[in-house]
Amino acid sequence: MRLIFLELFFIFLNDFYRRQETIDRSGTLFLKGDEMTEILEQLTTCVELGKINKASPYPPALKGQDGADELCKMALDQGIAPDDVLNKALIPGMSRIGEKFSQGKAFVPEMLIAAKAMTAAMKHLKPFFASGEIKRKGVFVVGTVMGDLHDIGKNIVSMTVEGAGWEVVDLGVDVKVERFLETIGRYPDCVVGMSALLTTTMANMESMVKEIRNKYPEKIILVGGAPLSMDFCRKIGASFYSPDPHGAVEFLNKLSA
Amino acid sequence: MIALNISELVKSVFDSPKRLAIPIMTHPGIESIGKTIIEAVSDGEVQFQAIKAIQEEYSPDAATMIMDLTVEAEAFGCRINLSDKEIPSVGGRLVSDQESVEKLEIPSLECARVPQYLKAARLAVEHIGDKPVLAGCIGPFSLAGRLFGLTEIMTATFIEPDVIRLLLEKCSMFLSSYVKEMKRIGANGILMAEPAAGLLSGEMCDNLSSTYIKRIVTDVQDRDFLFVLHNCGNMGHVTQSMVSTGAGGLHFGNRINLVEVLKEVPDNILVLGNLDPVSVFRSGTPGYVIEVTSELLRQTSDHRNFIISSGCDTPPGSPAENMEAFFRAVRLFNARY
Repeated sequence: MRLIFLELFFIFLNDFYRRQETIDRSGTLFLKGDEMTEILEQLTTCVELGKINKASPYPPALKGQDGADELCKMALDQGIAPDDVLNKALIPGMSRIGEKFSQGKAFVPEMLIAAKAMTAAMKHLKPFFASGEIKRKGVFVVGTVMGDLHDIGKNIVSMTVEGAGWEVVDLGVDVKVERFLETIGRYPDCVVGMSALLTTTMANMESMVKEIRNKYPEKIILVGGAPLSMDFCRKIGASFYSPDPHGAVEFLNKLSA
Repeated sequence: MIALNISELVKSVFDSPKRLAIPIMTHPGIESIGKTIIEAVSDGEVQFQAIKAIQEEYSPDAATMIMDLTVEAEAFGCRINLSDKEIPSVGGRLVSDQESVEKLEIPSLECARVPQYLKAARLAVEHIGDKPVLAGCIGPFSLAGRLFGLTEIMTATFIEPDVIRLLLEKCSMFLSSYVKEMKRIGANGILMAEPAAGLLSGEMCDNLSSTYIKRIVTDVQDRDFLFVLHNCGNMGHVTQSMVSTGAGGLHFGNRINLVEVLKEVPDNILVLGNLDPVSVFRSGTPGYVIEVTSELLRQTSDHRNFIISSGCDTPPGSPAENMEAFFRAVRLFNARY
């Protein structure tokens, strides 16, 4: 009887230590390592699968469960460092879906819903970005070029780049070169991204790249859009072309490494 | 090679190793008659004159209309941006939620520029007697994307699937009446452009596009009216979904390997495509156009169901010399038979 009691006591003790949460001076709950890993992994999965929040019916397998919104808040409330939330959960989630996209295993809707989940989580990180507690990899200024109103390609790239840890300044569509120049003035170290879907506006890219380079000769400029190619990129003197957002992220990450 | 109606044209494709050439091409015609894009997309008479000019100058095996993917969205009420230099574009979203989609009315064929497109098709049918006329329209998912916002519809398909299904129902009802009217006025077929469906997975394409297109195909396609489904966003992943619509012709963009497509598509379905409209027709040299056209003809020569075409609408500003080079390459190939 005594032995059984002792055994039960040790089981309880073991479980107690395994689940122990301590409270630091500020009252924040701290998780043990394996629980921290678990919540970050759940958050990664939510971003990868596009589970935005508890109310979202997508994906059906996670219906009624917490999404990226709730899990990100929970992670921060429980003391996980904001940069761990970003670098160990959100960025890997977007990276996973980006890889699937490049391999033809995921498509634009899956990319966009993942980006939406990422955005839902990122709103909880904004104060930490503002305070400087977590740092972005750099600033990416992006817009669809003058005369062009198409935005889906630009949107996918901007969401993917943001999901990779960059600050994105999205100038929208029909962006004139003056607006790019003015924004570069505010973010001198930024990388510029230009998108075009039309053959005529694609031609506008050449003069825009030239004008930007006149004022900022070293400026790195990425170009993208359905009618573009690497040949065209070289011809107009842009720095890089990628047919998909993952390629753009890989290029940018090399710059920030 | 002259075909008086669409069934003769289809028969000639299957019966002969010679290649038909049906590029989607109206802008060179607009330029050759000295008109602007605004005039051509706003006035059926001008568009017809451009189509006629293409026939007179290059003699493609069928007449095609401008691939203007805003006509139907404008009929629903979207604001449209017109330009002298570029095809029109949609200025913003018309609907954004369940309430606005429920309130959305299916327009009549009298709305906006629809009558001008019907007029252009009717004039082409009346005056281009020796070639079939393929009218044009947008596909249901691409139209829904114009009305709801293309970025927004992509996620709404997951979050608000019932709203998007209702929107697709309304879009396809309008498109069905539009295509039937094109058939009634004598067009020999329709080229339905559904590029946005190429952004979807195969399964989503089935559910959000092909299901709706199949209904229209079933309603209109017969031996006098050919349904050609164009999807330049397809990278190969929605080819079977396109086949499932029952369309008699499938038109592919330049991002797909056409030789592989020809192996995958049943040989009783016409396959059209897929020279790059930008790097070949607009930016290429005549020598380059001849080289790539000849190469595509050579690679596809084992398949009787192939018609050579551009991968999408030939862009404004494409040099006439490149058009001539394309047709010269086709004539050279056909001279062997």
